[in-house]
Amino acid sequence: MSAQKKRNFKIEAFKHRVEVDPKYAEKTWKILEHAIHEIYNHNASGLSFEELYRNAYNMVLHKYGEKLYSGLVTTMTWHLKEIAKSIEAAQGGLFLEELNRKWGDHNKALQMIRDILMYMDRTFVPSNHKTPVHELGLNLWRDNIIHSHKIQTRLLDTLLDLIHRERKGEVINRGLMRNITKMLMDLGSSVYQEDFERPFLEVSASFYSGESQQFIECCDCGDYLKKAERRLNEEMERVSHYLDAKSEAKITSVVEKEMIANHMQRLVHMENSGLVNMLVDDKYEDLSRMYNLFRRVPEGFSTIRDVMTSHLRETGKQLVIDPDRLRDPVDFVQRLLDMKDKHDKIINVAFNNDKTFQNALNSSFEYFINLNNRSPEFISLYVDDKLRKGLKGVTEEDVEVVLDKVMMLFRYLQEKDVFEKYYKQHLAKRLLSGKTVSDDAERSMIVKLKTECGYQFTSKLEGMFTDMRTSQDTMQGFYASQYSEMGDGPTLAVQVLTTGSWPTQPSAPCNLPAEILSVCEKFRAYYLGTHTGRRLTWQTNMGTADIKATFGKGQKHELNVSTYQMCVLMLFNSADCSSYKEIEQATEIPASDLKRCLQSLACVKGKNVLRKEPMSKDIAEDDAFYFNDKFTSKFIKVKIGTVVAQKESEPEKHETRQRVEEDRKPQIEAAIVRIMKSRRVLDHNSIVTEVTTQLQSRFLPNPVVIKKRIESLIEREFLERDKADRKLYRYLA
Amino acid sequence: MAITGTSEKVALQALKASDWHLEGAFDFFYSQPQIRAVTDSRHLEELYNRYKDPYVDMIMVDGVSLLCNDLQVEPQDIVMLVVSWHMKAATMCEFSRQEFISGLQSLGVDSIEKFREKIPSLRAELKDENKFREIYNFAFGWAKDQGQKSLALDTAIGMWQLLFAEKHWPLVDYWCQFLQVRHNKAISRDTWSQLLEFAKTIDPQLSNYDAEGAWPYLIDEFVEYLFENGIVQRGN
Repeated sequence: MSAQKKRNFKIEAFKHRVEVDPKYAEKTWKILEHAIHEIYNHNASGLSFEELYRNAYNMVLHKYGEKLYSGLVTTMTWHLKEIAKSIEAAQGGLFLEELNRKWGDHNKALQMIRDILMYMDRTFVPSNHKTPVHELGLNLWRDNIIHSHKIQTRLLDTLLDLIHRERKGEVINRGLMRNITKMLMDLGSSVYQEDFERPFLEVSASFYSGESQQFIECCDCGDYLKKAERRLNEEMERVSHYLDAKSEAKITSVVEKEMIANHMQRLVHMENSGLVNMLVDDKYEDLSRMYNLFRRVPEGFSTIRDVMTSHLRETGKQLVIDPDRLRDPVDFVQRLLDMKDKHDKIINVAFNNDKTFQNALNSSFEYFINLNNRSPEFISLYVDDKLRKGLKGVTEEDVEVVLDKVMMLFRYLQEKDVFEKYYKQHLAKRLLSGKTVSDDAERSMIVKLKTECGYQFTSKLEGMFTDMRTSQDTMQGFYASQYSEMGDGPTLAVQVLTTGSWPTQPSAPCNLPAEILSVCEKFRAYYLGTHTGRRLTWQTNMGTADIKATFGKGQKHELNVSTYQMCVLMLFNSADCSSYKEIEQATEIPASDLKRCLQSLACVKGKNVLRKEPMSKDIAEDDAFYFNDKFTSKFIKVKIGTVVAQKESEPEKHETRQRVEEDRKPQIEAAIVRIMKSRRVLDHNSIVTEVTTQLQSRFLPNPVVIKKRIESLIEREFLERDKADRKLYRYLA
Repeated sequence: MAITGTSEKVALQALKASDWHLEGAFDFFYSQPQIRAVTDSRHLEELYNRYKDPYVDMIMVDGVSLLCNDLQVEPQDIVMLVVSWHMKAATMCEFSRQEFISGLQSLGVDSIEKFREKIPSLRAELKDENKFREIYNFAFGWAKDQGQKSLALDTAIGMWQLLFAEKHWPLVDYWCQFLQVRHNKAISRDTWSQLLEFAKTIDPQLSNYDAEGAWPYLIDEFVEYLFENGIVQRGN
């Protein structure tokens, strides 16, 4: 290779200046300006995109961006002003259409212009902090059209007028509306809000305020709610069709406020159609509507709840203190159950099973059930009635349903220990008279009580069942054994009751007839033979007997009587007539029981196996009794004495209550000792609170009684007062 | 010396210690552990034998009468209660040998004359708040039957009237009236002791009575009684 001179390539700038034709910028601009005009005049098809783009590009490149931009602004503004005039000139209904059409045009034009000026948009605009073309176009539209003095108000008024007409029932052009509102949105959410939404909401508020006032004067509650619901749905539909989605929450809250919140009290308390009427008449649909509407407003639910609660309390209270109702305990309880059922259904169907409403129902029941202190007794009597006959032939499932409902009422009782006492008494009578409809039902009830209140509550009740079963076994053993040889003596059936489990009743023994006595002694011997260390006491006030009796014309009847009655009747085997005194002496039955017994034998129509002289209703000390030869009855078997559970008389009620109070004292003391043992030192009020909490599942202790128990414990040196602070008590180990 | 019942020597000590200020001297004296004056145990035996019952080794009713006579005080004078308190007597109207002798020893007397001289100072002890409370509470155990837990109502009323004559309580008569009309049963120890607190802290118009104040229920009932009968206006 020959040594060639290496040439270094150098790149140098042009040594001569490139002269840009000063008129170049002006010329180029003119081309572009012309193009913009053509675009606005719908003549864009004749233009070359490439050429225009290049021109714009060159202008920017040669540092004429500013000229281009400001030219654009001027040109566009000029066009928009012309457009504004044409829109303003539109008549009536065509106004919106014209606006819409021009807006469409403008957008198309803007797009083309933006495409042409894209280079400027990307380079000159950002570096000079100018508004991009598209946005510029929107802003100019906004400023020159929408905010033009003649157009602005007219636009708003037109829109609002159309909405108003639609509310009144006219059909309007929803598509057009949508386009307009979308236009406003595109111009910026503040434009939409300021130029349309805010006034729209104001106008709507006054519209609905007026309409609701009108409705409420002439409609009843149910109708009003229907109308309110309809309007609400309308507005939501309106939004979905031609307003911005964000407006929904705002307009619905306007409707809710004007139509519902402002009239809540009046609606709920409306005479003859308000909430209370709806409840009474089971208007599920109306109630459901009210629930759904009121849930939208503050305090809506609490308003309904409060009115419902006070209605329940009032109704319940009336039910519970009405003296007529108190005559029939079973009916009393049935009504309570019916009331509960009714309202449960309402809450279920109309109030969406809302828990807060359920709670309001529960607290109302708890309030009025305890207003009547015989409620525990009556509920027990209701169960007794059902278990003795009411549930006869009812399927197992339905039995469970009934018992579960009763348990719901039971839960409301504050004095559960009173219920326990009565339940025990009634159960004892059922068991001993053999009058229970279903053992399974009995056991089911016990299980439910145990689940609710714990083992202690039901242990004695279960003991009673056990005794009954054991007695059956004992009787079998007795008859199998040698003790039972008695030839043709009376057949004995004994129930052996464990003292602690059965309700205590003081029993005055009476003189049993000789035949009975011998059989009883045989049993006693047998029993004590197998169970040493026990003591048997005959409860003559609780037994029954079946006697065969032959009357004057030879009619034979089988009489089912109480033990006392049997003793009295047996006397007439040896004498046709006996005076009261003779009977009393012979049987040694206590006077009040004897009188009742004689009354049932001599003074009751259809059951008068004895005749009394004189024929008065009451038993006097010098009455004489005769065996009633002339006794007749349709039935062969006549039931005279039954030991049936009944509503207690006043003195009995008083006595039971006293026993309950007595039983509560040791429970309170035990609670106090338990608390003090763990806390060691505690002030008076805290003890009262703690004791109440501990015992509330059984009963509500009286603070005065608690105080007395504390003093008793101080006396017995379980507790002492603190030396420094006399309100404190100290546990003494 | 007349008030504290002490000897001249001790009195001078106290006055010197307090710079010859009389009030200060009292403070000084009472804050000292009681200076036991020496007693002659033979004298004490003699004294005991004078009052002792002929059949039982105790001073019984007659002996007490005689003692009171010698001391020139009435038997139902409240100062005898104070004496009994010093003796830690178990029950009223009786003193055991132990109680009598050690009681007199603690009082620092061994003759009737000294005993007599001590009486005014014993009476003065009732004016002291703390001592009064102790004597009051002592009185319950002392006045009740040995075998019982509670104090019979009549005895209690008698004691209250005696005690509250010393320490004036305006409601004492209503209290006794209330008990006879509404309560009619024996008084428990707690009720007894709490009554003093009630009398001391609650004003007779019951303006600061607090129903939540953990007073014995008998006192709560008493307050109700006062309201019901218009003796005190409710709503104070």
